Amino acid sequence: MTQDATVLDETIHQSTRLRIMSMVISWPETDRLAYGFIQKTLGLTGGNLTTHLRKLEDAGYVTIAKEFHNSKPRTWVRATPEGRRAFAEYLANLDRALNHRWSRTVSPS
Amino acid sequence: MGTTGREAAALTPEESWGTIHETLDRTRSSIYLAGASTILILWGVIVSLGYFWQYAYQTMASDFFADRPWIPLPIWIALGVGGMVGSGIIGHRATSRIAPGVDLRRAGIKVGLFWLAVITAAFLIPGAAGLWNAELASRIPHVVVGILGLGYVLFGILFRPALAMVGLGIAASFYLPSYLAGDAAAAFAGAATLLVAGLGWAWIRRNEVA
Repeated sequence: MTQDATVLDETIHQSTRLRIMSMVISWPETDRLAYGFIQKTLGLTGGNLTTHLRKLEDAGYVTIAKEFHNSKPRTWVRATPEGRRAFAEYLANLDRALNHRWSRTVSPS
Repeated sequence: MGTTGREAAALTPEESWGTIHETLDRTRSSIYLAGASTILILWGVIVSLGYFWQYAYQTMASDFFADRPWIPLPIWIALGVGGMVGSGIIGHRATSRIAPGVDLRRAGIKVGLFWLAVITAAFLIPGAAGLWNAELASRIPHVVVGILGLGYVLFGILFRPALAMVGLGIAASFYLPSYLAGDAAAAFAGAATLLVAGLGWAWIRRNEVA
């Protein structure tokens, strides 16, 4: 298992950040997601979501934009091209890790 | 919640795969639920208004309406059209709060078509069953409410089981008073529908995006 974890991007390979990335990546590149929508859909506290979003932002995987709409503050999250590439690579590595484990399970000893 | 190497290592590839699928499923169903709480309370108020109005004319102007049994139909159609338009506006505003994307408009259209199909069936099936006549018109609501309740149950099965419970509650709000409350059935049904819609609204606001 440790071997599997080493080939996977550790910024993404964490339960909450994996869920955040899965959500923002599922969105079209031209669109952004509301912070509140991510928070409620994933059932996270504001502090928890902010902490993990900051880590993803520091890694360059997402951008966070704050703006006012009808005098109300709104925060938007968008996956960067780098974040999309990293997630695609993460999926490819995950696929390899699963195949590796599966082949070990079914191969005759 | 901080992140440690131990947390990262604790997530197996199988768990990661499951997490991704579960998140995508949840995101999709959350989009379909956008605005659901406000729409639910809107319909609760609309249907309750219909029941209260029905109770009022049955008790205060029964002779006048006895000769005009068709009058409830345009009233319910007007309420239904108002509800559909209101639901469209609420759904549009809710999705634009999530993200102003094309995919969300498609989701809104799908949800709208689902409910349009349910409401159309609720009006057409009584006609096909031969209930659109003065003698049997009083049975129409029994069919309409059953179909609308079924709509909630199906929508709930697809997206959130709690909505299926709301559907059962809406049906029970009508059927129980109609069999147990005699002349005051419509008044009880109106109050019970409002209560069920209010409980559904509170549950969605507490647990969901809408």
